[in-house]
Amino acid sequence: MNQRPYTAVLIVPTGIGAAVGGYAGDALPVARALAAVVDTLITHPNVLNGAQLYWPLANSLYVEGYGLDRFAAGEWGLAPVHRNRVGLLLDADIEPELRGCHLQAADAARATLGLDLTDYVLTDAPLGVTLRQAESGATWGTLENPGAMLRAAERLVNAGADAIAIVARFPDDTDAEALHQYRHGQGVDALAGAEAVISHLLVRQFQIPCAHAPALAPLPFDATIAPKSAAEELGHTFLPCVLAGLSRAPQFVTTPGNVPAKTVWAEQVDAVMVPVSACGGSAVLSLSRRCQVIAVEENTTTLSVSPETLGISVLRVRSYLEAIGAIAAHRAGVSPAALSTAISPLSPLS
Amino acid sequence: MTTHFITAEIDLTADPAELPKAVEAELEKRGEPLRWAVTAVDETTQQAKVEAVVTTDTATVDT
Repeated sequence: MNQRPYTAVLIVPTGIGAAVGGYAGDALPVARALAAVVDTLITHPNVLNGAQLYWPLANSLYVEGYGLDRFAAGEWGLAPVHRNRVGLLLDADIEPELRGCHLQAADAARATLGLDLTDYVLTDAPLGVTLRQAESGATWGTLENPGAMLRAAERLVNAGADAIAIVARFPDDTDAEALHQYRHGQGVDALAGAEAVISHLLVRQFQIPCAHAPALAPLPFDATIAPKSAAEELGHTFLPCVLAGLSRAPQFVTTPGNVPAKTVWAEQVDAVMVPVSACGGSAVLSLSRRCQVIAVEENTTTLSVSPETLGISVLRVRSYLEAIGAIAAHRAGVSPAALSTAISPLSPLS
Repeated sequence: MTTHFITAEIDLTADPAELPKAVEAELEKRGEPLRWAVTAVDETTQQAKVEAVVTTDTATVDT
């Protein structure tokens, strides 16, 4: 092997009703297949988290969205690790029994998966998560008490946490119709935008890996749940996938000195894959002139921000199957046009 | 610190890779940018509509 490693980024933005990846970790099969044709796959919790389901991928880097944006902008590097000691941060608003369920999940991850956790910290005030759906259809959220979260996180960092898993109590009284749609594989995840705001705040402040799992009251059994949403119906906590992902998430390299070996930088990215209607994110825009952008038409979202309207040059493909083929061809140095049934002859350059 | 949802209209840049800097410069007028995305593009005016969450040290922000 005399080629440099091939690095791809897989992005499925959260909270925009992506037909693939807008539900309960349902873009994970794409990540698994893509990881098999690249040397390094960089992707984010919305792709890899399936509540109590997850799939360790030895060549993937689990990078929270704020860190992914900074990486794509060329500001931060990603330093692979063998393990992180994870600090567990719990919202004081979680009821005692539900809190106990999450602590059991954390202990199970220690005993059954061998993960290393610090003792946990409760926030000194409820975080006060508020959900919102914007005009675009995307979901967002805000916190009444972000300071309480940052104070608790600081205690975990001081206790030796290399990464932070946060569980916030989310409102149960969300739009009943929207919840019904989501559980049946349609519409937009009402919680997703607020989850991203929480993890972005922690990563921006502490520059270490962080991810979020919501605490919610259990829902009544429904025999008609869609397979894409079913992973979130398996139990009372979404924490296991977060702990597993964070346990080996890359650390962020934010300063030029003492850069660890094997640190990955944006200029090493060969390709980025994104839904065709969601090209207006910071990471895709930043990477758009550095690498091949592959836009997947089949993965519809609530948005209609095409690459062409933003001036991004892309390879459009219909499906993720085709996208993974395009990556394999790109890696092999094969022009996609050469894989079609007809090839136009060369013409004089005008 | 407080978190705020805001929207903004921003002129597209000739180089799309320069748009994040332009968006963040605009958002910084109203707080510290935390998370944002272009959620619509007006091709006639060549403007991007951005939805964002910013943080401020005070409790008020123009929306």
